[in-house]
Amino acid sequence: MRTSKGVSDIRRHMSAQGALSRIGERKGTEGVSLQEAASAKSRAEIVEAIRGLSPTDWVRLKKVAAYYARPAIPAQDLLQEALVRALDGSRVCPVHVDAVRFLAEAMRSIADGEQEKAERRPALVPIEESGGATEAMNCPDPAPGVEARIAQAEQESRMRADLLALFEDDPAAKDIVEGTIEGMTAEELRELTGLDRTAYDSKRKLIRRRIDKRYPEGWQP
Amino acid sequence: MTGKNDKAARPLGRLADSLAEDILNMSDAEVLAEFREGGGDPEQHAAEMRAMFEKGLLAVNKARLASAKAGAAAGRAAARASVGNIVDIADARARLRAVIEHANSGSGLTLAARKEDELSDADVLGMLEELAELGLLDDDPEAGKS
Repeated sequence: MRTSKGVSDIRRHMSAQGALSRIGERKGTEGVSLQEAASAKSRAEIVEAIRGLSPTDWVRLKKVAAYYARPAIPAQDLLQEALVRALDGSRVCPVHVDAVRFLAEAMRSIADGEQEKAERRPALVPIEESGGATEAMNCPDPAPGVEARIAQAEQESRMRADLLALFEDDPAAKDIVEGTIEGMTAEELRELTGLDRTAYDSKRKLIRRRIDKRYPEGWQP
Repeated sequence: MTGKNDKAARPLGRLADSLAEDILNMSDAEVLAEFREGGGDPEQHAAEMRAMFEKGLLAVNKARLASAKAGAAAGRAAARASVGNIVDIADARARLRAVIEHANSGSGLTLAARKEDELSDADVLGMLEELAELGLLDDDPEAGKS
């Protein structure tokens, strides 16, 4: 069991580091502030830590990648991108954070970023002439358009429906999945389902295993 | 991870956070057992991931080398440009002297210092900079040379 700080703690720490770098201190060649560099693992330490990952660690990373994967960025690409960013210094690993948690948080952040980019990516629309389409394209406003937002919402809706459909035979599990998506706390979910802590933990395990089995490489439409 | 205060960018992100946290907190034995149950071979998977990592490391190292080479080339170019800008203080004094002489010849310009040889090198350079800023200095750096 990994007993170091939770992902949310790491996220806060990395965000604070990012905030420091954004206020304009001198940057090194890798785009990392001096403050970040002082409290971060060196590149050699990162390489050593990743080389030292156990088979179990790699399995954990594969599963985390699948949870954060989306059609815009498949699981394998997500993990690969996290590794590259760790190596090229565009993401720093705080000294007290182990490599698995660092890479997990990196994947989460990359997935969020990719999703935002996909929403903002302008669609190229052919300009049609009387003789047919030409090579000229309209390049719409790069701000997230209504169509992109609708497409994104549709995808999220399909994913949500697919995931909930896995638990049609288990109302408590379905409530937990739905409640988690809605941001309910564990305590609220236990109260909602009437499960005690042990039964709730067991149900969560069932939920995760069923999702893993159905979408081993991450959800795809 | 499932608290209402969790600022997941999207609702489904909260579920992903929850699942990820569970995986990170599971025992090694559980993780391996589940993976094997699904037909996975942890050792083989690790070998594939390590190979992917080493390939990525090589690519990043090559990019860093290319970046370092470009940086060194830019540094050399900057150093050459910097050397080109080194000021010959004798020339600077000659230029200032020429300006002072021109002012004294009734051009309407009044300069606080009448003799450049009473000024320090820094003062000479400072005055030339100020004159240049005021647009009163000939663009030709050769002007005033004897």
